[in-house]
Formats: sequence, structure tokens, C-alpha cells
Amino acid sequence: MANERDTPDTEQAPRTGESRSWLWSLLIGLLILGAIATIPLLGDATALRTWTTIIMFVVLAQSWNYIGGFTGYSAFGNVVFFGLGAYTTGLVLLAGQPFWLGLLLGGIVAGVFAFLIGLPVLRLKGHYFAIATLGTAEAMREIFTVRDVGGGGGGLMSLPLAGLDTDTAFFFGFLALALLGLLITVWLTRSRFGYALVAIRESEQAAEALGIPTFRYKVAAYVLSAIPTALAGGLYGYWSVGFDPPTVFNVGISVELVLLTFLGGAGTILGPILGAIAFELVSYQLQISNISIHNTLLGLSITLVILFLPQGVLRLVQEFTRGSSMPGAVVVPLARDAELSKGRQRYKAFTEGMRRVRRFIAANGI
Amino acid sequence: MDLGQVVVNWLLLGSLYAAIALGFSLVWGIMNIVNLAHGAFILVGAYVAFTLYDKLHVDPFVAVIFCMLTLFVIGWLVQFVALNRVIRAPLLVTLLFTFGLDLLVTDLLQVIFTSDRRTINTAYANVGLDIGTTHIALDRVLAAVVAILLTAALSAFLARTRAGNAILATGMDRDAARLMGINIRTTYALTFGLSAALAGGAGALLAELYPFEPSIGGAFTLRAFVIVVLGGLGTPWGVLAGGLVFGLAETVVPLIPNVGPGYDNAIAFALLVLVLIFRPNGLLGRQFYS
Repeated sequence: MANERDTPDTEQAPRTGESRSWLWSLLIGLLILGAIATIPLLGDATALRTWTTIIMFVVLAQSWNYIGGFTGYSAFGNVVFFGLGAYTTGLVLLAGQPFWLGLLLGGIVAGVFAFLIGLPVLRLKGHYFAIATLGTAEAMREIFTVRDVGGGGGGLMSLPLAGLDTDTAFFFGFLALALLGLLITVWLTRSRFGYALVAIRESEQAAEALGIPTFRYKVAAYVLSAIPTALAGGLYGYWSVGFDPPTVFNVGISVELVLLTFLGGAGTILGPILGAIAFELVSYQLQISNISIHNTLLGLSITLVILFLPQGVLRLVQEFTRGSSMPGAVVVPLARDAELSKGRQRYKAFTEGMRRVRRFIAANGI
Repeated sequence: MDLGQVVVNWLLLGSLYAAIALGFSLVWGIMNIVNLAHGAFILVGAYVAFTLYDKLHVDPFVAVIFCMLTLFVIGWLVQFVALNRVIRAPLLVTLLFTFGLDLLVTDLLQVIFTSDRRTINTAYANVGLDIGTTHIALDRVLAAVVAILLTAALSAFLARTRAGNAILATGMDRDAARLMGINIRTTYALTFGLSAALAGGAGALLAELYPFEPSIGGAFTLRAFVIVVLGGLGTPWGVLAGGLVFGLAETVVPLIPNVGPGYDNAIAFALLVLVLIFRPNGLLGRQFYS
């Protein structure tokens, strides 16, 4: 019968893979977030604070994933939205208004800013786009310092302490944002908008030819990445009670969140989450071990990972489990394989997977 | 403000900026790599010059040669060992890699030299020519002259020597160059080494003129980027042109009433976006580096 011969599992949608892998990713993501949600129960204040920071980076990485991973436009200046969110929320709080209003306004301000900046900057490609966004972050940092927006000299801002059991409340605030980010990412992998973004990444000209309004979607993706970043910024601002431009407009944060998403696997659902958790934990271990050269080690680890795993860990996992890594290839199970026992078949698949992984790592580079 | 002083400042600053951006332009034009660690290389050059002056009392302008040699070796090693692997990787990978390198080098500098601001104070630091109210500082003139000499030297090297021609050929079409018998790995290593050497030379020049510390590397990289975009990829003279235009902006904008100093990065960014919108090829941009 015609529908017995299913189309072979070809690599036409490399990032979304088989038809139900998104569901698995969603479930695993929920599991991870759920496991993290139990951290406050441990009663360890340091662990709580560490994990709050980790979750914050998860949110930031997920947001970057929209513009960088799905659309393929590597924005190196997303920290500018973080800073805008922090400062807007701070100003609202200083004016005596409620916190949620500050967050809301922060999101709106960042969204509008992303729209306005996106109009000229998203016409650029590749290096130019990356450095233009980098320049935005640097320029805003400078403007906020020189104009002394926070009022404390050099843009420093000091806020009143939050009322509730502070650390736990903020922890769950960030966790809620992370959950929202997960849901939005899953939605992107299933919606027309998301597919259009992936099309733009793979070939912008082809996407245009297919009738996708690329520019509009690019700007939309950029604005989408700006809003959760700003919300995270607002939360962070209130949580740290005081901050200054070099902290919240820190380009290092910007590049770090690119790296996190990248390590985990850009354009995937779980990539940002895994990358953020793994990298931040390592970074934290390096920091508390009191080695004075921890930044050096960080830089070293970045370069090493980039050299050997330029497409992220998740891609490695996909490579291992996938039938074939060549796009358009047909996977035909060899007839003689069926004669082997089940255990033997699984062992063969395992070694074949390892071989593919090794080839994959070796192939990256010249 | 005195017009003469403004013009003098502009010309001297602009030429110096050219030195900063030369290496960056070379590596971008030939290898299509945006080297985010360029600022760090400049700083290494500055610190080497500083150490030479501090311990051995070598004049910074003489130290330029030594800094260039040191950075050449470093650049060669980096390219040979690491960068070679990511040269065909997508853009993001090379950017992240050079960023990691930048982090590494900056932190090493911070550990070795601490974040104290350093500068070199030579005996002739305040010597200058005074024409009316315009003060032309000797060290700035020397730095500008060295910068222009470096630009001319690079241009001549690329056009007239075999190695230079090999670099240009590799930049035009790597596979055709390989077919002609050019060793790509060595050529790329040479290019990157040269770029690092130019950065080191710029660093040595800067060490005498401005105070520096490990954290200002990023500002250099951003400026180098804007200058190269302004002047256009394709020729060392474009870098000089870009440097002069950038110098003009930096000298003139703070003079506008109500603006004041401190907006350096904002100016750089605004210029960048304007150029990319209105004249994406820059002033003297060409398709192939020559």
C-alpha cells in the first residue's frame, strides 16, 4: 500500500528532526526546570543564589536563541536590552511605582528600542550585524554613564530593598521566565513564524523568493528576543538592589549568552538550557576555587570547546542518534542486519554512532 | 576652540588610528576573520614596550621593532595552532574563538601587570613646536609618521614582494592560489603574524601617548572595526582614509555645544551604522585586497 512506504528520514529539517522530538525536548525541559524548582527546599542560601544566576542565564540564552539560533543573525549586543530593562524598572521603582509596572515598562521600552535599532541594523549581515549590535551595547553603556541616568554618579542606581522573602521570590521569578522561554521556543519550532525564521537562517534569498517577508520577521524575532531579556534585566536590577552601567551593559554578558546557547546547540529547544547550566556551573566552580586566573581558564575553555565542538553538544547527541548525517541521504537498513540478534544490532548502532561522532568532531575545521 | 589646534589634533590622531586598524584590515580582507582579540594584541605590544622602557630604558619608538617581532611570533603561533582549524567554520565560530582568545590574553595581562594604569614618560614627552597658540607635540608627530610609514610599508610589501603577492592571491581565491603552489597554511600564518605585528607596533606607539590598562582592549577593537568599515576593505590606504575620517569625527563632535566629551563609543557606533547604510563599501573599498 502506498502509505506503507514512508519517506525516508531525510535531513530536510535538521533542527526539528523527527516529527515528535519537540515533545521529548519539551518534556525533558520541563523535567529539568521542575528539578531546579526544588532547589529552595534545600535551604542552602548560597546554592539558591547560584541557581538564580544560572536560571537568569538560561532566560537570556533562550532569548538570544530566537534571533541567533533560529534566525541565524548573531546579535552580539543583546545585553543592551538587559540594561534597558534594569534601568527602566529602576527608574519606575525610584518614582514610587509598583514593581510589576516597572517590569512591564521595561519590556515595552526594550521592545520599542529593538524595533527602532533593528530597522537599520537588521539590513546588515554577518560580521557587520554582529559588530553593529556590539556597538549598540557599548554606545548605550557610554550614554548611560555620561548622562548619569541612575543618579548616583556615573550612572549608578540604588534601589530600595524588595519586601518579600527576597531570594526565593526572585528565584521563582526567573524560573517563570525560563518556563515562558521554553514554551515560546517550542512554539517557534512548531509554528509558521518559526519555520520562516529557520528558512531565513538557511537561505535568506530563497526565503524571500518563497514570499516570506524576511525583514518584517527578522525585526519581529529581534523584538521577541529583546523582551524576556529586558524582563530578566528588571528582575536582576531589583534583586541586586544597585547596579551601574558597566554591570548591566556588560558586553561580556552578551558574548557569554551567545556562547551558552552555542555550546548547548543554537536553534534547538534544550540547547540554551543545557548550555547555560553546564557552562555557568563550570564557571562558578572556577570562580569559587579562588584561582586568580579564572578568567584565563574561562577564555581557554571557550577556545577549546569552540575548536572541537563548533556546533554545540546537542548536535553531537543528534549526530549519535540520527540515521545519517548527510542531507538528503536515504537510510536503508541493511538486510543482513536483521539477521543479527537485537543486542548485536544495538551494539552495532552504538559503535556506528560513536564513529559518526568522532568523524563529526574531526571534520570541524579545515 | 583654536582651529589650527583642531586640525593638528585631527591629522595626528587620524594617522595614529590608521596604525591601530591596519592589522585588523589585513586579517579581515585576506582571511575574512574579524579578530576580536586585536585590541588585546595592541595591549600586549603596549605592555612589551612598557616593560622594555621600565627595565632596559629602551625608547618606545625604538621598541616598536621589537614589539612587532614579538607579536609576529605570537600571531604566527596562534594561527598555526588554533585559528587554522576554525577558518572554514561559520562566522559565529570564529567570532567566539577570537573572543575567547581576547578574554584569555586580557586576563593574562591583568594577572601579570595588574590593572594599574601604565604609561611611558619619556624625556621629550612635552617637547613640541608652538606656532602661535597651536602646540604640535613631537611625540605625536613621530607616532603619526611611523603610522604612515607602516601603511606605506604594508602596501609596498603586499604589492612588490613574493610573499606579499602570495598573501594577496590567497585572499582573492584560496583554491586557485593552492593550485599555483602557494602553501596556504604558511601564508595564512604569515598574514595573521603580520596583523599581530602591526597591532604590536601600534601598541608600542600608544604606550607613550596615552595611559593604558588591560580593560581598554575592547575599545580598540571596536574602533578598528569602524575605521576599516569607514575606509573600506581592500587597501591599506583605505585604513588611513578611514582613520582620518574617524579622527575628524572624534575631534569635532565633542566641540558641538551641549555634547561635550565622553561619547567616544557612541560616536563610533553612530558612524558605523551611518556608513553601513549609506556607503557600505567605505571610502576606498575594493573587491579584492591589493
